[in-house]
Amino acid sequence: MSRSRLPPTLIAGAAISAGFVVAALLSLVWTPYDVTAFDIGHRLQGPSAAHWLGLDHFGRDVASMILLGARNALSVSLVAVLLGAGIGVPLGLLAAARRGWTDELLMRGSDVVFAFPALILAILITAVLGPGAINAVIAIGVFNVPVFARLTRGSALSLWTRDYVLAARAAGKGAARISLEHITPGLASTLIVQATLQFSLGVIAEAGLSYVGLGAQPPAASWGKMLADAQTLAAFSPLQAVFPGLAIVITVLGLNLLGDGLRDRLDPHLTEDG
Amino acid sequence: MSFRSLLGLAAACLLALAPTARAAPRDTVTVALQLEPPNLDPTSGAAVATDEVVYGTVFEGLVRLDAQGAIKPLLATWWEISPDGLTYTFHLRGGVRFQDGTPFDAGIVKFSLERAIAPASTNVQKQALSVIRQVEVVDPRTVRLQLASPDSDLLYTLTWGDSVMVSPRSAGSLATAPVGTGPFRFTGWRRGDTVSLARNDGYWGQPAKLRTVRFKFIADPAAAFAAIKTHEVDAFLDYPAPESLAQLRADPALEVVTASSEGEVILAINQRTGPLADVRVRRALQHALDRRAIIDGAMYGYGTPIGSHFPPQNAAYVDLTGLYPHDIAKAKALLAQAGYPNGLDLTLKLPPPNYARRSGEIVAAQLAQAGVRVKIENLEWAQWLDQVYGRHAFDLTIVSHAEPMDYAIYDKADYYFGYHSEAFHGLMQALKGATDEGQRTAILGQIQRRIAEDAVNGFLFQFPRLGVFDARLKDFWVNSPTQIIDLHAASFEGPRGTETIIDAKSGSAGAILGGVLALAVVGGLALLAARFGAVWLGGRAVVMALTLLTASVVVFAIIQVVPGDPAAYMLGLNASPEAIANLRHQMGLEGPTAQRYLAWLLGMLHGDLGVSYTYQTPVAALVGERIGVSLPLALLAMALSIVVGAPIGALAAARRGKAADTVVMGLTQVGVAIPNFWFAVLLVMVFSISLRWVSAGGFPGWEAGLGPALGALALPALALAAPQAAIIARVTRSALIDTLAEDYMRTARAKGLTARRALWRHGLPNALIPLLTILGLQFPFLLAGGVIIENVFFLPGLGRLVLQAVTQRDLIVVQGVVMLLVFAVVATNFLVDVAYVLVDPRLRKRRG
Repeated sequence: MSRSRLPPTLIAGAAISAGFVVAALLSLVWTPYDVTAFDIGHRLQGPSAAHWLGLDHFGRDVASMILLGARNALSVSLVAVLLGAGIGVPLGLLAAARRGWTDELLMRGSDVVFAFPALILAILITAVLGPGAINAVIAIGVFNVPVFARLTRGSALSLWTRDYVLAARAAGKGAARISLEHITPGLASTLIVQATLQFSLGVIAEAGLSYVGLGAQPPAASWGKMLADAQTLAAFSPLQAVFPGLAIVITVLGLNLLGDGLRDRLDPHLTEDG
Repeated sequence: MSFRSLLGLAAACLLALAPTARAAPRDTVTVALQLEPPNLDPTSGAAVATDEVVYGTVFEGLVRLDAQGAIKPLLATWWEISPDGLTYTFHLRGGVRFQDGTPFDAGIVKFSLERAIAPASTNVQKQALSVIRQVEVVDPRTVRLQLASPDSDLLYTLTWGDSVMVSPRSAGSLATAPVGTGPFRFTGWRRGDTVSLARNDGYWGQPAKLRTVRFKFIADPAAAFAAIKTHEVDAFLDYPAPESLAQLRADPALEVVTASSEGEVILAINQRTGPLADVRVRRALQHALDRRAIIDGAMYGYGTPIGSHFPPQNAAYVDLTGLYPHDIAKAKALLAQAGYPNGLDLTLKLPPPNYARRSGEIVAAQLAQAGVRVKIENLEWAQWLDQVYGRHAFDLTIVSHAEPMDYAIYDKADYYFGYHSEAFHGLMQALKGATDEGQRTAILGQIQRRIAEDAVNGFLFQFPRLGVFDARLKDFWVNSPTQIIDLHAASFEGPRGTETIIDAKSGSAGAILGGVLALAVVGGLALLAARFGAVWLGGRAVVMALTLLTASVVVFAIIQVVPGDPAAYMLGLNASPEAIANLRHQMGLEGPTAQRYLAWLLGMLHGDLGVSYTYQTPVAALVGERIGVSLPLALLAMALSIVVGAPIGALAAARRGKAADTVVMGLTQVGVAIPNFWFAVLLVMVFSISLRWVSAGGFPGWEAGLGPALGALALPALALAAPQAAIIARVTRSALIDTLAEDYMRTARAKGLTARRALWRHGLPNALIPLLTILGLQFPFLLAGGVIIENVFFLPGLGRLVLQAVTQRDLIVVQGVVMLLVFAVVATNFLVDVAYVLVDPRLRKRRG
């Protein structure tokens, strides 16, 4: 494989993902308009030179709302991935190092989590904890844990049979130290690829939760909430439903292209169901 | 078979699913309401929706209110009141029979009223009716009530749905099978979707003109718009989407009626402690509010501004909307005076209806201008009842107070907003002693002024009653003073139609399906035991059982910590703690946790999932009904995704690296990225509202025939299938590419097979393994993943059942459905494992 030329899909994915991150960061310091000021009189205006994507049902600038929505999507999915990896990776390392009962327990435990209908469990979690961005993170993050745990375990098991690991064991290093010093670096590329894909799943999941009113609470902007607001207006102001939907599709598309591209590049042997 | 012919086949299937236009039935009316009644017994529970559906249709009382609010005879033809006001003698109508054949007489009146005031009664008006000391049968057509004290409101109390006449033969089962003396009889209830009534041909009075009445329950504003616009429903009595009323007004086939209701929408302020106990802070909030902007923004202009807790249509109304003009500088000044020059932080907890959520966003933005930073929290009703109403854990909330003339709530210091004023109490005492109308009006004016000057709450607007009707519908009672929907005289203009209406028979489809499934499972297990040996099967069974057991513990544990009390939710705002405790006991919510868990687990083992708190029917039956929608939907979506996805993947694999591959794979990347609920909304916009090819939602039931039923599932299945098809295409492609590189494929080609034949003969079977894995993952997702899709299309499926059960705290239903879905996952995994072995000869040897 030639390392000199990057495939165009990877470049496109990286560009879109970078755009997403920049939009989210930009919204921290600047948006084209102030979305806390409602302008009911000019509600539902179409796109114009002043407002590129028009105004929403409260007369807020849609482009600004989408930028703020990017921040929400980014933070919720990113923290959910970090939460999933933060708990899942150590569990996977532990299972691979200990084998036996620990391993069996982890695998069966992740079977149980996987057996739950994700959205319904998320709804229950928000019923217990109340709606909001932080609880959406927890609801999404819970399902990331077994994904990372299983992936880590699978890859770590094969790394444990490598010569350099055997050498380290012979040198008297403990299982914890080997996991940290020799196994984890070998997992990095696999984990980065998976993190990108879970990240894109998180964006869709966050939009779904916000759509049913369980995600970020107003005045925080969220793409799913924008879609829910737009739905009843769809018959006479269809653009309201189009822009936030497109924002989700483009972001998820970009992250998936990035993830697939990285997978091809970093680890050609990984299969779809990793 | 070529790719093209497969595509053609898929298109043909889709076309076959599109139902033909059907003639509008002229003696069947479909009335939409936002809320489904939890049960159909108007004599227990506080649900307004119960009265709306069965009171005046199925049930009748002794007297009724007419459209002007005057008391009129009904089952009593006339009555006398003794001069001391302690004895009421009712003379009853003759020849009246209940729908179950029981004749109506004085004994029935005695039975009905005594039942309502009995110690174990859960009647919401028990307290008001308890003024009746004794019910005496004088003769079969005459009954005498002895009162403990004079009560000028007694006749009004008797016009409520809680005071209807019930037959001793059917009184025990009114919740699920209501029987009364009214012009319609109950024929069926498809839970989550429709209650059906048919004309009562044995009615004592003028028979109803309509033959069938169907109540449909649609709370979602978008679904409501689609349903009324496409004439899926003929009347929407509490239309939830003011934003689309302008569109509906422009439609000559529809009539829009707006009126004022008795409901005041208020920004309630918890003034017990903290900054909000200071009247200056509360006045500052008033100055920060701009009512016109709230009404325009949240209600699209529908609604009348109010300045106090009083309906503008009342004769005693005083206009106080000018008391606190919108003035940010004044608001800031008042806050500074009160010691908050830098503003303050408050929480605003909002219940689910759109009026509250939208007003809340605008109120938060308006208060922010004055330096009041508001944190919004959206709550479900159960959470709202618990936190705001029950525990007073809030600063601000927005809610509509729908009860007429309810200013007395300002005289209760323990009421949720916590207002206490001796001056106001004095006014209330004076009102009780008022003798003439002029004096009364004057005191009512002072009451309004007192509340407004104390800035108790932010008074936003009088809630509008928005009705949308088919223009041909006549004599429909719209502006009623009670929760009655009078359909007695209603009819359609024009000739009678011929469409036959099939009454919903609940559960039969589900039961048959269940039987078939059970047989298939038993047969399959026997086959597997014979093939792979009992040891393998036993091992798998133990793992499955352990997974299910762990899952049941997790589910039960989560359910235990869900805040909100189902009993409190069911009995509503005015229930006494004693009644709630009674109901909790009846529901089996008391007792040690471990014991309740074991009881639930043991019940599940013989298929008993318990009894739904709200619907009061077995959970298993409810689930059976819903599976009849969700399972076919999941199967249809899966079939669609395979039929579309697999050939596309095969095509891409065969043309690997060529233009077709790039284009198709690009499209699948987009397909994977599309959220299915967004796709669903787009589908409804195009196919239901614009093209009118398929109904916008709802489910007619399998009894209505295969065509209409599949037609109702077509769009939802398409929405669910689209992203799945993209995934399947990708998996098929990569699996085929992997197998194409295998040695046996090269051998097949060397043998002289064409590339295409080699692919179909040898490649595809081997590529099935990853495909099966994906299908195994997808099926349970489709079964439950329809939650949002089912909401978009208001399909009565499992997902919507569980969502509704969570919000109503019908936790036993939640437990049951979640366990069922977990079981579906575990069973699917097992089947996939078995399929692996069957498909892949290498695995077969290893296992054997």
